[in-house]
Amino acid sequence: MSDEGEGRSAPIAARVHLAHAVVQKLADDRSIDLLHLKGPAVLPGLRPEGRQSSDVDVLVRPSHLPRLVAALESVGFEQRTDFSTGSVFAHAANWWHDDWGWVDVHTSWPGVMLDAEAAFDVLARTSVQRQIAHWDCPVPDRTAQRLILVLHSARSEGTTDVDHAWLGAEPAERDDVRRLAAELRAEVALAAGIGELDRHRGAPTYALWRHFTEGGSRFDEWRARFAAAPTVRAKVALLTAAMRVNRDHLRMELGRPPTREDVRARQRLRVKKAVAELSDRIGRS
Amino acid sequence: MTRYRIADDVAWVSEEGLDGGDAPTAYLTRVPKGPPILLEGSGCVVWLALAEGGTMEDVVAAAAAMAGAGAEDIRDDVETLVDQLVVIGVVRED
Repeated sequence: MSDEGEGRSAPIAARVHLAHAVVQKLADDRSIDLLHLKGPAVLPGLRPEGRQSSDVDVLVRPSHLPRLVAALESVGFEQRTDFSTGSVFAHAANWWHDDWGWVDVHTSWPGVMLDAEAAFDVLARTSVQRQIAHWDCPVPDRTAQRLILVLHSARSEGTTDVDHAWLGAEPAERDDVRRLAAELRAEVALAAGIGELDRHRGAPTYALWRHFTEGGSRFDEWRARFAAAPTVRAKVALLTAAMRVNRDHLRMELGRPPTREDVRARQRLRVKKAVAELSDRIGRS
Repeated sequence: MTRYRIADDVAWVSEEGLDGGDAPTAYLTRVPKGPPILLEGSGCVVWLALAEGGTMEDVVAAAAAMAGAGAEDIRDDVETLVDQLVVIGVVRED
């Protein structure tokens, strides 16, 4: 996520801590169920010491999303990406505040195939309280945090998170993570994160996770996403999105709302890149 | 006897929680509307003393112990700062 400056006063680390408390207060006042993820929400020992986060990540109960959006915007947060453009998994959207910086709101976690509302119930069932900025914030328990960090690492082409969250876990703790992954239908993504992806060659999401762990072209990514889309409707939505320039990201890149000409120029660039990739493939075959 | 404590709607973090620099620093805010407030140096020391809660005597004594100063030497400054923090609503008098 690019930064829009240092905010009005506090450095990033301070404002991230305070922003977690701000979001939780909004949730407390409106009975919104959410869980704080990553950054200062990570329980001790699951991440290298001294790691700083540049934004706030929260997982909201999907049915409570409209209330959270209204709450965020009531105190000056501005939505910068929506759920269809926020990421390839359409699982998160971003809000910006001049004092508090970025808040990423997730309704699901990439790799979890269980229905998002049911998945939230599973993660919330064992949640624990963690003080962030001296404010009680619900966070997933250690097992769920290990899984969340490994899944995040899997789609980030591997990070040191796996060293602490998985390699540093005792065998019994790893068994707990595997059981939770099975309940959340996240076995393929977990396997991608811990180097066991080949055991899932027949899974519809296999190619997608192989792309995330091993890299590849945009064309490979779209092919893998197409294969992973579970329904015809989802496949059609994916194809439509593939042809559209992501205005939200273009706005962040330019630092201003894109003009019609900016969008057209970017569309031409996308077509050019796609043609170049295809030409490369044809040339290689 | 009046007792002082951090208000219920205040979130705060000090340099210990941030793995930050050398100077004592605390960032605080009234949630959810803010804005962020910065307390540096002696201001942060007084804030940390207030985190324990207590009478003005308690706060002065705790701040003096943290700063390695005599209570009488810092009493006026501590009282002034605590009064200001009460006025902006981040410290409560009970």
